Amino acid sequence: MHHVTLDQWSRGASVLHRRDPRVKIAAVLMFLVVLATAHRELAWLGAALFTVLCVAARQARLPLRGALARAGVVLPFTAVFAGVSWLAGDPARGAVLVMKSYLSALAVLLLVSTTPLPALLRGFEMTGAPRFLLMVAQFLYRYLFVISEEAQHMRKAALARGATVGGLAGNAARFRAAAGALAVLFARSYGRAEEIHRAMLARSFPGYFRPLIELHLHGGDVIFLVLGVVTPVALRVLIERAA
Amino acid sequence: MHIPDGFLSTPVWAALDAAAAPVVGYVVRVAQRGFDEAKVPLLGVMGAFVFAAQMINFPVGIGTSGHLVGGALLACTLGPAAACVVMSAILAIQALVFQDGGILALGANVINMAILGVLAGYLPYHLWGRSRGRRAAIFAGGALSVAVSAVLALAELLISGVRMPAAVLGVSLALFLVSALIEGAITMTVIGALEAIQPNFVRQPAAGGRYALVAVGLAAVLLAAGGVVVASRAPDGIAQLAIQTGISGRARTLVSTPFKDYQASWLGAGWPAQAAAGLVGLALVGGVSVLIWRKR
Repeated sequence: MHHVTLDQWSRGASVLHRRDPRVKIAAVLMFLVVLATAHRELAWLGAALFTVLCVAARQARLPLRGALARAGVVLPFTAVFAGVSWLAGDPARGAVLVMKSYLSALAVLLLVSTTPLPALLRGFEMTGAPRFLLMVAQFLYRYLFVISEEAQHMRKAALARGATVGGLAGNAARFRAAAGALAVLFARSYGRAEEIHRAMLARSFPGYFRPLIELHLHGGDVIFLVLGVVTPVALRVLIERAA
Repeated sequence: MHIPDGFLSTPVWAALDAAAAPVVGYVVRVAQRGFDEAKVPLLGVMGAFVFAAQMINFPVGIGTSGHLVGGALLACTLGPAAACVVMSAILAIQALVFQDGGILALGANVINMAILGVLAGYLPYHLWGRSRGRRAAIFAGGALSVAVSAVLALAELLISGVRMPAAVLGVSLALFLVSALIEGAITMTVIGALEAIQPNFVRQPAAGGRYALVAVGLAAVLLAAGGVVVASRAPDGIAQLAIQTGISGRARTLVSTPFKDYQASWLGAGWPAQAAAGLVGLALVGGVSVLIWRKR
């Protein structure tokens, strides 16, 4: 599963893994903005930024091929629009869509696979995102695995009862059965949330997560921040000047 | 429809990010008023439920299946503000962990799906949830939530200069309409099943008041209805702006096409036909809602 692999990758100990999440967020945002606002010499710029990302992935000791393949999850969606642009007589625009969306996804993938999600969300919190929302996101991620597994079990049970055997039940009956299964999943999730809440109250949850590690900017983080912010800007300026 | 990075033009994503930040902040505050901070696990686990719900397939005929999107279902069970927060958290996790939707485009996706989609989905339930047409209102809510988010996303793409031949535009609008009707049916059936398990899972809409909610929900529906009409005419407007500001040379590859003057062939020419198509879509959702109302 995609998120399980990324979660494993994010537990590494490379130079990139050790950087403060805030400087990584800043570097990725800068990268995305430079890419999104570029309109000239896109082929060269794309190639240069792609090289930067590949170097970063190597530094993070991530399997390069795996990372490149995983960033391809955006391609089916993008390919549809690239095809449509091509039909509308603008193949260049289609190519730009593919390039920009793929490189953006790769940059975000690098961020997520070098930063464990709790640290990443903590980084976002310190940049001003609402804490309540981030806590909801963190719970969501934590229980994603649990509830998904429950849904898988229900699906398997339904299949074992012949849910997909044609002719056994009409479409309407199967539709109602699926709705019933979903309602049961809803009720179980709700019940589980209440249990979690009681357990947290029993452990005197203060209303926010106490961070285990305080974030501090070190010298390495500052150097990374400067490098991460300057590199994409400098590349773009150089390439556009050279043209 | 999650918009990835690289699709929206800079003014569009920047404006929507700027709009989404305060709106999400406000919605979080409203949701916190309804749920004290210790109840945060409920919203998180229900977000995980919406994710997991995608694994349960609903047969919709001829070998295809649909799945729950969830905005309207959450709004009817947790309340609109909490539903907005849960959907925003889902979009953030999807953008970060699953690379489904961009980071710069997160504001756009949040506005489309987590804010306007959810509020439009709650609007019929808020207005008619206490009347005899309750089931129809839930159906219409589910359908509206998907239709509004999809059409807004499409409009943003068109405003950003993504070119679409009229036939493709027509087909995608038709597909949106079909998935909207499926979501309506799923939401309505699931809420029926939920009430059979435990009636108090589904919230009764607050009586009267909440004019702001009604206004925003209505605005979302109108925006979506008008969005495609405006957007399909807007690229020329943006091209005009580019020429005026002298960046046309730079942006030429992005905004000009050889088929600049082509006309929609089967949709007919100009905006009246497109507006009519939008109205037909809304009328269809309304018609099915009335049928469900009668059936009770």
